[in-house]
Amino acid sequence: MKNKPYLILIFIFLIIIMMDVSVFAHKVNIFAYVEGDKVCTESYFNDGKKCIDSKIEVFDNQGNILLEGLTDEEGMFSFEIPSEDVIDGDLKVVLTASMGHRAEYIIRADELRDVAELIEEKLEEAVTVLSPEVSSFDLKEIRSLIEDALDEKLKPIMGEMREIKKSQEDRISPTEIIGSIGYIIGIFGIIAYFLSRKR
Amino acid sequence: MHISEGILSAPVLITGAALTAAVVGYSLKKMEYKEVPKVAILSSVFFVASLIHVPVGPSSVHLILNGIIGVLLGWSAFPAILVALVLQGVLFQFGGITTLGVNTFNMALPAIICFYLFNRGVRSENNFIALMLAFVCGFLAVLLSGIMVAAALVFTREPFMQVAKLVLIAHLPVMILEGVLTVFCIGFLRKVRPEILNV
Repeated sequence: MKNKPYLILIFIFLIIIMMDVSVFAHKVNIFAYVEGDKVCTESYFNDGKKCIDSKIEVFDNQGNILLEGLTDEEGMFSFEIPSEDVIDGDLKVVLTASMGHRAEYIIRADELRDVAELIEEKLEEAVTVLSPEVSSFDLKEIRSLIEDALDEKLKPIMGEMREIKKSQEDRISPTEIIGSIGYIIGIFGIIAYFLSRKR
Repeated sequence: MHISEGILSAPVLITGAALTAAVVGYSLKKMEYKEVPKVAILSSVFFVASLIHVPVGPSSVHLILNGIIGVLLGWSAFPAILVALVLQGVLFQFGGITTLGVNTFNMALPAIICFYLFNRGVRSENNFIALMLAFVCGFLAVLLSGIMVAAALVFTREPFMQVAKLVLIAHLPVMILEGVLTVFCIGFLRKVRPEILNV
């Protein structure tokens, strides 16, 4: 076996590639989250590069287009949550990047609504228990204070959640790659089998 | 180079799928039993190469290696690339299942063109000429793929020249890189296993 060292070199090269590979992939991703009364979207290729000047379209659950816009240089695009009579149900955010790349993300209706409603309910409950004479103006003030405080407190947690969700979506593990190569060999094994029968 | 799901119109998708099915059928019929392991290995090479990323401008591109695959496989490049794309589509959501036909055609047709243009050349007695041709082969295959992607996107809302320019500029570094890689591969094979170049 004259060429054995070469084969070993190629093998080592392949293994090095695979170790690095979890960062690489080829598609675009879009990620959306609710912040206050806004929906923020983040778009990126999944080697981490941001999608700049890519088109974002927002659809309701009937497939009607609600609004569209372009991402900024951070790959971000945000819009105000459309009022409740315009949408009822989920929102679909579609990203169209250059060269035939496309991705979508669905924001669930409960994600859009529940937080605000929940605060209101709790607040009313609390106020009626404490002092029934509070005017509606105070109520409003208190509500916005609580919302601000909650947003502030939840920010790091939400950020972390986003990171976790993202990394779950993007990860390509070496196991998958090795498994896929196994599949390829298997598929061609089947082809070889049929070719051998044909002869 | 992987066009995502939901971008192309139905006629383009159907044409791509039909053409790919026809060529794959033809090349499987033509494929010889002893060729199968080589096809399987190059299919794996294509699969892994697509995971290696080159960040360029606002987009991000990856190695394709369809030049070297074409020169080594000829018509069998079609099943090799199809199998790799199926796995990438299913496991990593690169491209998509409906766009499989179009994507395979875009990457495998240039491979066959390169086979007819360069297979004789890279076996030339003159080492320098052979390696020069190998570079052109790797370069041209990516160039042709880029043009075909732009052509497939013509029927969407994006104008041809704009997309073509974008795809070609983005892939220029890849073309050069693939040209160099093809030179190394062919140079290596000429020294170690010249008979592999006889398809």
